Amino acid sequence: MIVTTLKPLDEVLDFIASYSNPNSNILIVGCDGCTTPPRGLREARTLRQLLELGGKLRNTDFTFETTTTAKQCDAYLTASALKPQMDNVVAVLSLACGVGVNTVADIFPDVPVFPAQNTHFFGMEEREGAILEQMCAGCGDCILAETGGICPIARCTKGLLNGACGGSKEGKCELDPARDCAWNLIYDRLKIQGKLDLLKKFYPPKDYSLAGWRVTT
Amino acid sequence: MNEQVIEERVAVKLNDDFCSSCSICSSLCPFEAIKKEDETNKILLEIEKCQVCGLCYSTCPAKAIDTIYYDIGSLTSYLERAKQEYDSDTLVIMCKGSAPDFAGVGELFGVTKFIPLSVPCVGRIPEEIFLKALVMGIKEINILACDDDYCRFEKGSPIIERKILALNLLWGQLGYGTEVITLKRNTLKVKVDRDSCIACGNCVFYCPYDAAKLDSPGSVSFDLDACKGCGLCVAMCPALALELENWERDSISTLVSKLSSEMEQPKILVFRCQWAVFPSLDNGQLAPNIRLIDLPCAAGVEPFHILEAFQKGVDGILIAACAEDDCKLEKAGGKTEHLVERLRERLSQIGLQERLHLCTVAPRYPERFNRELEQFIKKIETIGLEESK
Repeated sequence: MIVTTLKPLDEVLDFIASYSNPNSNILIVGCDGCTTPPRGLREARTLRQLLELGGKLRNTDFTFETTTTAKQCDAYLTASALKPQMDNVVAVLSLACGVGVNTVADIFPDVPVFPAQNTHFFGMEEREGAILEQMCAGCGDCILAETGGICPIARCTKGLLNGACGGSKEGKCELDPARDCAWNLIYDRLKIQGKLDLLKKFYPPKDYSLAGWRVTT
Repeated sequence: MNEQVIEERVAVKLNDDFCSSCSICSSLCPFEAIKKEDETNKILLEIEKCQVCGLCYSTCPAKAIDTIYYDIGSLTSYLERAKQEYDSDTLVIMCKGSAPDFAGVGELFGVTKFIPLSVPCVGRIPEEIFLKALVMGIKEINILACDDDYCRFEKGSPIIERKILALNLLWGQLGYGTEVITLKRNTLKVKVDRDSCIACGNCVFYCPYDAAKLDSPGSVSFDLDACKGCGLCVAMCPALALELENWERDSISTLVSKLSSEMEQPKILVFRCQWAVFPSLDNGQLAPNIRLIDLPCAAGVEPFHILEAFQKGVDGILIAACAEDDCKLEKAGGKTEHLVERLRERLSQIGLQERLHLCTVAPRYPERFNRELEQFIKKIETIGLEESK
């Protein structure tokens, strides 16, 4: 999942402050692609009402419409879903991740598109604990085969390729004791698998340009 | 130290003077709240375990148990009043947990005009009420109970079946016929809009009954025989693709608008778990500034319904949920707290957080609920009315 959190309402209200007009709409566009955290129709409807109430405090009346997209990062699907709904829309407020915001903004270059969310990371959903946790940093050169399926770039606070750093205390990170030390996890995992020799491998500094910017499907 | 202990009023009480220690109550109590003390032969009620289902009250042969909810007196006066109001000689008693709207209930029994009596668990109705109904001139009694394996009070549904059997037999002997009382069972079901489904899997994860399945290539299907209509999936669906029969979102929106317009100030709207009964809300006379919307479970309270109510000028919203240990649904405990906390955090950004209050008082302590309600009203009066802002 691409993990997002809702922006402070004041910030969103600032974005749309100049688009208050009874005769034209601000379109709140949800996204059903990554399904958690939810940013579909229910969130769109809830956000609409929060902003209407927030607008009242500023003596501003906004006119909203709400809709959602199957995957806002899919330019074709998003264009075909939104085009019929864009008459009379003066601004778009996107509930998607940054990719979705960029996508909509590219499709409708003449309409301002604002993000309602902050985008954080690629995360694993753990339903029982109701948490999402970063698992992958999208580096473009995956080393998970050698680290027991645990990514040190995403999960080590320092992003170390050659850990552990010496600050690991009882399996927790010295910078944030709430977090597991990724290299401690890697050690434990490789031990179970009888592959501790993999820890002897030295990784030179990573070439982050391999993350790239475009791939052909 | 001079400690003054004031006995708190509780919803169910055992009167030792009348108790014959017959143990019927303790054998029926679904929650093991009533026990016989071996040494003294005395029956003891542990109020902390009591879920106020009323089954003990309705079955005690010695009338040694008192309850403040749906007791014989209040049920009788309701029937007297309702018989005039609905002008019918057919009575329909329905469990809140399984009844569709009144029209739907009528359809189930094939009656159009009837006296409705909606209760949390039909098993709690004492035999006297059926007899009194007959004396009042009621000719036909229909009872809608929850499916046997989905009685939220576990034994209420089987108990009513036995009571009806006995009563019909008795009335047959008296010449009233053997089919005065008809029993039907029902379960509300989830309704799926497959076009809106985004295959997120929330319903599959949350359904306690394995009724939801995620089919490839990515749309959900429900086994309606397995669905118990608890509504948890509906509350957790981010795509608004699910509805629970009789609790459709649009009809709740309509109700929010209607109630908001008829309330006096300060307008207090209560969203309540239907299993959390309280005298101040259930005695049939709500204060003119208080209105009530029942939900299948408080975890099903829809944030946009709360916001809609604020938009319609409601000054304060109280959510009456059951405490986690008292939750009548599986897997729903604690969900309301989480939901309200999240919404309050967002409301704090627009200065409305104090107007939303979650109360998790159990029905066994009616005064505690009243105190919370009073305090909340006071707080709202201090903050000021929403409309004057």
